[in-house]
Amino acid sequence: MTDQTVGRVLGTSDATPLQFWVAVAPGAYLQLDDVVVTGRELPDGSTVTIAGVVTAVRARHEGAMFDSDVFAIADGALPAQIQEAAEVTTTRVDPEVYVPPSPGAVVRRATGDARAGALYFDRMDRRVPMGFGRDGEPVYLNADFLDGSRGAHVSISGISGVATKTSFATFLLYSMLRSGVLGGAGEAANTRALIFNVKGEDLLFLDHPNTRLDERTVAAYGKLGLPAGAFRDVRVYAPPRAGDSSGTPDVGSRQTGIDPFYWTLAEFCKDSLLPFVFADADDERQQYTMVVHAVTAHLVKVAVPAEGGISVEGRRINGYADLVDFIVDQLSDEETRHAWTGSAVGLGTVNAFARRLISSKRDLARLIRGDLAQRRPHSINTAESAQLTVVDLHNLPDRAQRFVVGVTLKREFERKEKTGSANPKLFVVLDELNKYAPREGASPIKDVLLDIAERGRSLGVILIGCQQTASEVERRIVTNSAVKVVGRLDPAEASRTEYGFLPPAQRQRALIAKPGTMFVSQPDIPVPLCIEFPFPGWATRPAEAGTPPDSALRSVVQKTDPFAVVGAAVGGISDDEIPF
Amino acid sequence: MRLFVEAWDPGFGAGVESSEFVNGNGSSAEIDTEVERPAEAWEPLSPAPDVRAPDVVLMVDGVRRRDARVWVGDETDVQPGLAASYAAGVVRCDLRRGAAEVVTARVERGVFTSFPDATELLTGAARYTVHQTKNGDQRVLDNALQARLAALEAAVCAESRDESTADELIVADGLLGSRANASRMLGYIKSQEQPYLPAALTPVMTALRAGQRTPVFRLGTRFRHYTWYLRLPGPKGAPWGNLVRVECSTELPPVAAVALADLSAVTLPRFAATSYKDPRAPQNLMPIAGLERRLRAMLGDGRLLHRALTRTANQVPV
Repeated sequence: MTDQTVGRVLGTSDATPLQFWVAVAPGAYLQLDDVVVTGRELPDGSTVTIAGVVTAVRARHEGAMFDSDVFAIADGALPAQIQEAAEVTTTRVDPEVYVPPSPGAVVRRATGDARAGALYFDRMDRRVPMGFGRDGEPVYLNADFLDGSRGAHVSISGISGVATKTSFATFLLYSMLRSGVLGGAGEAANTRALIFNVKGEDLLFLDHPNTRLDERTVAAYGKLGLPAGAFRDVRVYAPPRAGDSSGTPDVGSRQTGIDPFYWTLAEFCKDSLLPFVFADADDERQQYTMVVHAVTAHLVKVAVPAEGGISVEGRRINGYADLVDFIVDQLSDEETRHAWTGSAVGLGTVNAFARRLISSKRDLARLIRGDLAQRRPHSINTAESAQLTVVDLHNLPDRAQRFVVGVTLKREFERKEKTGSANPKLFVVLDELNKYAPREGASPIKDVLLDIAERGRSLGVILIGCQQTASEVERRIVTNSAVKVVGRLDPAEASRTEYGFLPPAQRQRALIAKPGTMFVSQPDIPVPLCIEFPFPGWATRPAEAGTPPDSALRSVVQKTDPFAVVGAAVGGISDDEIPF
Repeated sequence: MRLFVEAWDPGFGAGVESSEFVNGNGSSAEIDTEVERPAEAWEPLSPAPDVRAPDVVLMVDGVRRRDARVWVGDETDVQPGLAASYAAGVVRCDLRRGAAEVVTARVERGVFTSFPDATELLTGAARYTVHQTKNGDQRVLDNALQARLAALEAAVCAESRDESTADELIVADGLLGSRANASRMLGYIKSQEQPYLPAALTPVMTALRAGQRTPVFRLGTRFRHYTWYLRLPGPKGAPWGNLVRVECSTELPPVAAVALADLSAVTLPRFAATSYKDPRAPQNLMPIAGLERRLRAMLGDGRLLHRALTRTANQVPV
């Protein structure tokens, strides 16, 4: 027996090729997630190596028959032996001869190569470190299943707040970008990522080093083969402040290195963005959808760009509110209505459309602009942006969030479709997937997301979706995810079939998983692995933010468009803001 | 009419096996009731308040099982025999640490037969050594087995004793017999057959309350021992219920025997079993019950051994 020996396969419970129990030797211990290995000699002299992960452990008094015997045993009146046993779920059988291990066979703790073999790390050509196992050793994800080579998309589920879904998604992204698995320097540099920031200003400081980073964390990153630090090459976009005519980004804590994003009226009409105003799943069930599409088509036809705004049938329109008023006017007029809606639409339907269109004015007016200079950069385009593009949505009302997510994703997807090549890759991190792609109903955003889930792999668009409840997300998106991740789960949610990949013991553990602990299922390994990922090397809130990178200072001088005309009525600037 | 229900499970016999015991008819055994106090002064005794239980109690017990009745012989002579497994062990109850552990446990298997040329029996499951007996009578075979078990008990007991400490009490399950040489060794008799006390003193015994004992008296049967009755805590029942008899060596001075009697009265009741857990409660002490379970587990599966013996028998050319 070597010092790695932890026990023997026990014979009082059935030992099967896929699951068996191990009696833990005196003085040794096994904990959940430990990796063990045992062997079985075949009659021909060859040995089958059976490796597995501990999925349950128990201890009991042998020799005790009644529950109350424990008191007699503790008093020293009844002899009994404490025996621990561990349930092992097989991960790998090599060669693939599915025979049970023999009761009595020695079980060893797997370390080094044996551990890598048991968890299939030896078969992974490209490994993305995703944290540490309970044994403190790195755990890897097969990059082939992340970047679309053999599979794509990640689905992360868990309770809001404790499951640390977004943190894990950003860590995974960091690991992916910095571990060098994406290929040569050019490939890695061309890879793009798009993150939507939906809660607080947490993700606005990804390019700031974390001041709370200590030596231990740096060492942990080193063990994973990653540099500890912030994301490089980040660009942050935020919506313009409501009611601000100069288009200043609406953020509280980050003042520099942040650009506003908006759409001009001309783009809104030309690119048919109106359906995204009605992106609620609720909208799709209504009759007025056909009006939406008719009006969209008509706008494409009649809108003419006119320095910032548009002009329709000779009338100049300078803002979203203007446009809405104009359309509503046209629809209420008997003479013009049919040109906009077609002939077979009832007045009630038209009115329902008009009501909703009017209610969108308040939410969208700041995003769809006719008053800002057209030449000024304002659109989100990951190909021309930095490696990591952060789009801040947290200040936007629900309808505006849907609009931004829908339009951005559609544009990015169309752009990738046009290039027709899977490279370079685009990773999209989207939280609250159950809002954008609910199981029930249809919406333009859901269509885009479904497209990404089903065709994104070949086009190089990889979705990292987070949701509180996978059971409420469109099934096809969840099933298309090669990598499934679970943090702390709600008890009612954990019993849903969507989490069938978790063995019962892990499902129970997911109910008490602490922040930073995730269960990751990947196609290579039959048992989900429990991991802990390290503290982020980037700031997750203003208080942690260290020195901003130089690039963040860029837009201090660039926030004003150098080509805008001083004193002009539209998109003009005052004399004080001349940047030179 | 009075009715008492025996506390033991009927399959295990009874705590009191004879009507003479209950009705207090004196026995023919040689008895000296004046060891601790004159017979007129007999009364139930509680241990003095300053008597403290020892730190360590060792309990010795053995179990046996007849694996098969066999016939051993050659072409001309066939003799009966007995294949048996037996085990003995010692449980060490460390009351200070609150830990009871089986310190020694040994199992042996043997074939007891009167056939003179018997050889060791090797089966697929176990090895049976040969023990010669005078004749093939069943009683003789059983006694030989009992003697081997007693020897094994004595051996494991000697192995487990820590001679360096005086604060150690040894309780052997059953009659002390010839084992009485150890100074701090008690024999513990669960089941009463013979009424040893004269009829006049029987009321003292039946009046005992839980934890009380009778005065020490000397008993001379085949072996001479100091002995006393002790009542264990248990459900109320017949006046002679929950009684055990405890023995110690007559090589000790009477004062030492009395001290041991007091010691037993503070020590043994805490080990008394509960009726729903043990069919022989309260007399069958918990550590001994636990030890017996362990020893029985060590004996192995009886059916398996029987099968192995049968298979071996079929292989031997007749």
